[in-house]
Amino acid sequence: MNATFRVGFLGVAHFHAESYAKALKKIPGCEIVGVYEEDTALGKRFGEEFKIECYRSISELLDKNLDAVIITSENSKHHEHIVQALDNDLHILCEKPMTINIRDAEDVVSRVSKKGVKFQMCYVMRYHTVSILVKELIDSGILGKPILMVGTNKLNRALPLLRNWFTNLSLSGGGAVMDHTVHLADLMRWYTEDEVVEVYTEIGKNVNKAISVEDNFFTTVRFGSGLIGHIDGSWTYASGFYTWGDVTMEIIGTDGAILMDAFRQNVYLIGDKHPGDRLSWSYYGCDPDLEMVRDFKRCIQEDKPPRATAKDGLEGVRISLASYESSKRGEPVQLHQL
Amino acid sequence: MADKIHVAVLGYGFMGSTHIDAWQMINGCIVKGVWGRDFSKTKQFAAEKGIRAFPSLNEILDDREIDVVDICTPTYTHAEYAVQALKAGKHVIVEKPMALSLRDADRTIHAADKSGMKLMVAHVLRFFPDYMQVKKMVEEEKIGEICQARAFRGGPFPAWSPWFGDVVKSGGVAVDTAIHDVDFITWISSSTAHRVYAKITRNVNSDSSKYDIAVINIRYGDGLIAFIEASWAHPPSFPFTMKLELDGTKGVIALDNQSPVPISLYTKDANHRYAPESLPWKPMIHPFPLDPFYRELSHFVDCIRRDENPMTDGRVSRRSLEICLAAVKSSEIGKPVNLPLEV
Repeated sequence: MNATFRVGFLGVAHFHAESYAKALKKIPGCEIVGVYEEDTALGKRFGEEFKIECYRSISELLDKNLDAVIITSENSKHHEHIVQALDNDLHILCEKPMTINIRDAEDVVSRVSKKGVKFQMCYVMRYHTVSILVKELIDSGILGKPILMVGTNKLNRALPLLRNWFTNLSLSGGGAVMDHTVHLADLMRWYTEDEVVEVYTEIGKNVNKAISVEDNFFTTVRFGSGLIGHIDGSWTYASGFYTWGDVTMEIIGTDGAILMDAFRQNVYLIGDKHPGDRLSWSYYGCDPDLEMVRDFKRCIQEDKPPRATAKDGLEGVRISLASYESSKRGEPVQLHQL
Repeated sequence: MADKIHVAVLGYGFMGSTHIDAWQMINGCIVKGVWGRDFSKTKQFAAEKGIRAFPSLNEILDDREIDVVDICTPTYTHAEYAVQALKAGKHVIVEKPMALSLRDADRTIHAADKSGMKLMVAHVLRFFPDYMQVKKMVEEEKIGEICQARAFRGGPFPAWSPWFGDVVKSGGVAVDTAIHDVDFITWISSSTAHRVYAKITRNVNSDSSKYDIAVINIRYGDGLIAFIEASWAHPPSFPFTMKLELDGTKGVIALDNQSPVPISLYTKDANHRYAPESLPWKPMIHPFPLDPFYRELSHFVDCIRRDENPMTDGRVSRRSLEICLAAVKSSEIGKPVNLPLEV
């Protein structure tokens, strides 16, 4: 690694790019070298915001003696960007989902295994203080044997509309299922240290009729151990809701239960412009994006395996695609059938 | 001072234990040992914490390696120990309230001035992440000018430390507990309290102590009024509750530690509600520095290393003590009490 950790952005189409860039600014010894973004207007805006160079080609950016890239391009471009970064022996922090099909996901796992670089998935809930504490509680055995995990990772319906590609099937690979299955699926895999063997998904009629991808769904999964999981990652929360969305999980074990509401770390704020002004939340809690980027640097520096790897990326893709397949067939899908 | 800061803790109660856990998480700090009045209890406690049991206070004061004395003994001993430690050339952090009279508070402040050592009173509420957020929002003028503040702090009697029930030792709920909110609101107000009117009463259903519920009204120089309720008289099943509401010209800020929390745990025997700040923080495992005690003691360490004045030094803390003592007096005479109080 260079004396300063030199990072480039391959695509900034996902909003999270800004959050990761802010995190890099807060971590000592990091430099954001530049950005490549196909949408030149967006790239220019990002470059101006963080006072960094915006390059016109990927190779120009990858030529700048980088240590690592953060890939926050549209989902469909991840595979191509991963391959180019690996060809240049760069460490990679990759936005979720890793890819939009299983063939590409397996290809990433195979390529990463042949390189001596770190590949870390942006499974940000593995870096969230609250979900870490819940993992510790589960591991302590206080719940006995976990038998059920019911989670929500819902989103305000207005947010995916802020960037057009989220609702463009060829760029996103899908709607809410593709976007919001993986965080909860990954949390459940992390908590159980087990794999999903069966997936059943119901996709509902859209709350937003103006978009052509699905915006709500329920997914039921069965793990190898028999544990049942339920995932709701719908884009259905309405404007005026207290916050952007949520990550909650109810975990029932043979000896107890945990209710997690990860972003419930807020002070109430109520304005006075109108009598009907609603309560909003002012968040004071932990910053999992910051901790994730910090850990990426640490894993490279100390040559440690990342907490979420390409294998975890592949399993996420597998579960999301099985959801679509199940919805299409109207029956449960065994993962090994795909 | 050497690179490492060596700390001795006085007191082996709840707060002594909490502080030792926090000190042990701070980089560059070493807890050298603990002293308490009962040596056999001290030894047992020290063994649990893996630190040394000092047989006498003088051995701590004479130990040239010790930089900081952290006083977590019952309140009525605070001033005496603080003065002795400051005179011995130690930096002192003392639990709130710093004393039970203004005379003793002044004695401590004077000793700090004369010795040139740092004195901090541990008003930990300023280091709770939710209260820190309130302070930040007020500074960002999210609700404009604050006109009214109300706070609640209460639960069942702290039965693990029966000395709280003795008003001569603890000052009672109005001094011991209300001082948290008094300090916080006074800090937020950036004004001075002018007048205090309070009722301190005994819960007839309680067998715990005298003076176990206090309702305190404070008028500040800039016109802000504050109402603080502090209680040790709620039923044993009542969870420890903290509430704060600030009403301003442009809106309202509120918090309530009983509103839904990030983690609720239910087992056969009990249920627990965890805000991250209520759990012990393990550095490296939990990346977010949650523990308010860790933050509080880190602030003191920073002040020592940078030769800066702690946020809650003797003079700042004395202002809060004065308001609480005025509340006791108001309750006794049945009339409002104007500040400043005579010493």
